Amino acid sequence: MVDVIKNTQMHCTYGCKTSKAVQPNVAGKMISKAKRPLLIVGSQVLKDEELLKRTIEIAKKADLPVAATGHSISGMVDSGVNAKYINVHSLATYLCDPNWKGLDGEGQYDTVIMLGHIKYYVNQVLSGLKSFSNLKTISIERFYIQNATMSFGNITPEVHVEALDELIENL
Amino acid sequence: MSELTTGSFSIDDLENVQITINNIVGAIEKEAESSDVEMGPTVKPGVSSLRDWDHNVLDRYNAVYTPMCDQCCYCTFGPCDLSGNKEGACGIDLAGHNAREFMLRVITGAAAHSGHGRHLLHHLIGLYGKDHPLDVGATNIIAPNVQLVTGVQPKTLGDLDDVLSYVEEQITQLLAAVHMGQEGAAIDFESKALHGGMIDHVGMEISDIAQISCLEFPKADEEPPLADIGMGCIDSSKPTLIVIGHNVAAITDIIDYMDEKGLNETMELGGLCCTALDMTRYKAEDRTAPQAKIVGTLAKELKTIRSGIPDVIVVDEQCIRADVLEEASRLMIPVITTNDKVMYGLKDRSNDDIEDIIEDLTTGKEKGALMFDYEKLGELAPRLTIMMSEIRKQKGIKALPEEGDLKAIADTCVHCGACEVACPDSLPISEAFTRLSEGDLTKFEWIHDKCIACGRCEYACPKDIDVVDVIEKCSQSLISEEVGKVRAGRGPISDPEIREEGVNLVLGTTPGIVALVGCSNYPDGTKDLYTIADEMLRRNYIVVVSGCSAMDLGMYKNEDGLTLYEQYPSRFRSGGLMNTGSCVSNSHITGAVIKVAAIFAQKNISGNYEEIADYTLNRVGAVGVAWGAYSQKAASIGTGCNRLGVPVILGPHGSKYRRALISKPYEEDKWNVFDARDGSEMKIPAAPDYLLTTAETVEEMMPMLAKSCIRPSDNNMGRMIKLTHYIELTQKYLGVMPDDWHKFVRTETDLPLAKREDLLKILEAEHGWEIDWKRKKILSGPAMKSDVSAQPTNLKRLCKEA
Repeated sequence: MVDVIKNTQMHCTYGCKTSKAVQPNVAGKMISKAKRPLLIVGSQVLKDEELLKRTIEIAKKADLPVAATGHSISGMVDSGVNAKYINVHSLATYLCDPNWKGLDGEGQYDTVIMLGHIKYYVNQVLSGLKSFSNLKTISIERFYIQNATMSFGNITPEVHVEALDELIENL
Repeated sequence: MSELTTGSFSIDDLENVQITINNIVGAIEKEAESSDVEMGPTVKPGVSSLRDWDHNVLDRYNAVYTPMCDQCCYCTFGPCDLSGNKEGACGIDLAGHNAREFMLRVITGAAAHSGHGRHLLHHLIGLYGKDHPLDVGATNIIAPNVQLVTGVQPKTLGDLDDVLSYVEEQITQLLAAVHMGQEGAAIDFESKALHGGMIDHVGMEISDIAQISCLEFPKADEEPPLADIGMGCIDSSKPTLIVIGHNVAAITDIIDYMDEKGLNETMELGGLCCTALDMTRYKAEDRTAPQAKIVGTLAKELKTIRSGIPDVIVVDEQCIRADVLEEASRLMIPVITTNDKVMYGLKDRSNDDIEDIIEDLTTGKEKGALMFDYEKLGELAPRLTIMMSEIRKQKGIKALPEEGDLKAIADTCVHCGACEVACPDSLPISEAFTRLSEGDLTKFEWIHDKCIACGRCEYACPKDIDVVDVIEKCSQSLISEEVGKVRAGRGPISDPEIREEGVNLVLGTTPGIVALVGCSNYPDGTKDLYTIADEMLRRNYIVVVSGCSAMDLGMYKNEDGLTLYEQYPSRFRSGGLMNTGSCVSNSHITGAVIKVAAIFAQKNISGNYEEIADYTLNRVGAVGVAWGAYSQKAASIGTGCNRLGVPVILGPHGSKYRRALISKPYEEDKWNVFDARDGSEMKIPAAPDYLLTTAETVEEMMPMLAKSCIRPSDNNMGRMIKLTHYIELTQKYLGVMPDDWHKFVRTETDLPLAKREDLLKILEAEHGWEIDWKRKKILSGPAMKSDVSAQPTNLKRLCKEA
């Protein structure tokens, strides 16, 4: 089992409530159990083929709809993934609104999973969700993201790929 | 007596007595009242005067908060845990607290600009007198922001003094609301933030038109001279004086002294940040190339000091690293401060003899000096630079590590990753050290352009490696080639230019104005700015730039070795690229928007803010981009644009402002306006769908720019052009069709000509629209009717039947 919860170092502090470090197998099971999950994929997946490959695998295996932020959609065209482009700041705004019908018109989500985002940017986005929504937010980035409900710790790119593989096994 | 507004007079009967009247209370207001200028309803608005307009706008564009911290530590009741939007001990909740913090950020920026303006104005009035006329080039609207907000049409430096008093009063009133136990509602903090942003543009405008009028800066110049830019443009073999900051007042005396003594070839004068831009404007009216060189932005400050190239550093105000004195003194570089906003604990030497100061600084007895006497500074700084150059050479001051030491330094790295956790951009420093150990410098060269040289990596490093020095040493060959060109700031846009282009902008046949403004905190290096400007200029957008963005844009060249400034005209027209000038010159960008309403649409602008903001939001396709925004000033500039109806996109670091204004396009009842012809309601598209937001990457932003320029009043030709760009840019950068393009189609003539048939097929097949295929005409489907004569407005009072 890959241990991804050792390093939860922050370069500065973020108030009273910070995320709980989570192991990949637990994260995988939680994603599988979510009733209305959404995988939110950032542009950083385009910088690493291995990461993009696993992103697509996660979306397919767990049958997750994908909100493709930044220009990440360009890496998912023709991949068979149910992905739609949306700006992540707008998306976070809608995710705080119980009246939003979601990307597919079926209603609001209960769990969002973050992967492939710029560290400081996703942390700010999740801060809004932490404070102004009841969503469960699971960060499976390679950095400890303080404002998620649960997050991997700081890990190397190689360990990140191993962790994602283990997560995929547990979906 | 009653005719006097300012000046001096003598009474004959009294001997040896002169009475000077500096200011007659209310004189400028009386003069405005007596003129036949029509005044709008909000002359010199107070904090609450435009509240209804703000609430109206904020109902559509919701404040979105992403707090940095979920506590409030403002008073001794706390600290309070506000997580989950809980209330603190005083009753304020997290939304209110964040709105308050954003407002504070905005008025801090406004205070920085107007404090700068106050300093400049006092200085220039001291030199030229209150009656010195304002002259900013070919315009009848000398100060569009001042006139729009206050109703005042300033003609002299003294007139600006009166307006600045209004600005200062407003900032004080806004700051008072920050105090614990005052405002509690987030939406009213938001209204106050918008007020502060508006006030900021008045303060900026005062600062810039004062210096343009007095210091022979270009005046709405369509061909301002080109200046050198880049760390490589300094000849380090010469004595080098580096100035840093935003206020050129003190530096003009240095330039004059160097001219008088013929020192321009003997020594180098370079600058960082906006003072550098303003040095290239100083005396530019003689049209000769500026002698002063622009080293770069704030992101180059630490690198420039650490390079050891400066022999003396002079700082003024704003965007100056707080550790300049500490860093410079390590390399025996004396620092002279010239402004009471930045004094670094140095002794005030304003009344001391120059020889004594030189003695103390050359011997290292003092690390620097505070100098408010600018004439003295003019002589001191160049003389000291020449002397320090020789002394520093003799002492063999060593700055960066030797090339031979790099491997040994790299080998000390334990690859703990602390530097990468600390790095604002998570740059791969650990990997770069691994490569450096193998003798490969290229990863650090790659990092050089991405690095903002903040130095956080060094504080995090357990092995005390000076990472910034390593980055710079590894990149020295790159740095030596860092030489570009930037146009000196041209100042305002002239009335003839607005007259010619206004119609194209309002009807949409010029697809829009893209203003690239702000600082150097880019998420992925400096070249992104060039990429944005190049793409939009090729598509005939008007591109306006200022400040650090204007600098970084000049660092890149095409295959023929030309920068964008050399390829595109500096004229306000389709495909024009204009550098307005320094940070305070951002006011000319909003000024141009106001002038479009005044000159093209013949709108009264005096004290008529709501109507002009409403006009802009509905008709003028302008969007601001602050890709590297870092400062409170950037927050206030953007917020001032927002209140005027101009949306602004920030880079991802902009999320750390913790507040955005984003609409919900799915709330269909929010997307209606009145038709001013009869007061009827009309549906409009959800564009702009934000007033302030962030984009993750440049690729994402490209289509956002095109979409943000769509306005309800576009005519069919204009909408077609704007939709063409929106669709093309989405396909080019995201690889897909936008999923909302059809929402902007009112009739078949709105559709891009080259793709009309294909798009009609999609409308029929995917959206169920009825198409008459013989005439290729849309029969039903659009949510909006096409009526290019409609006069969209959010203000019921402007409707004829209201």
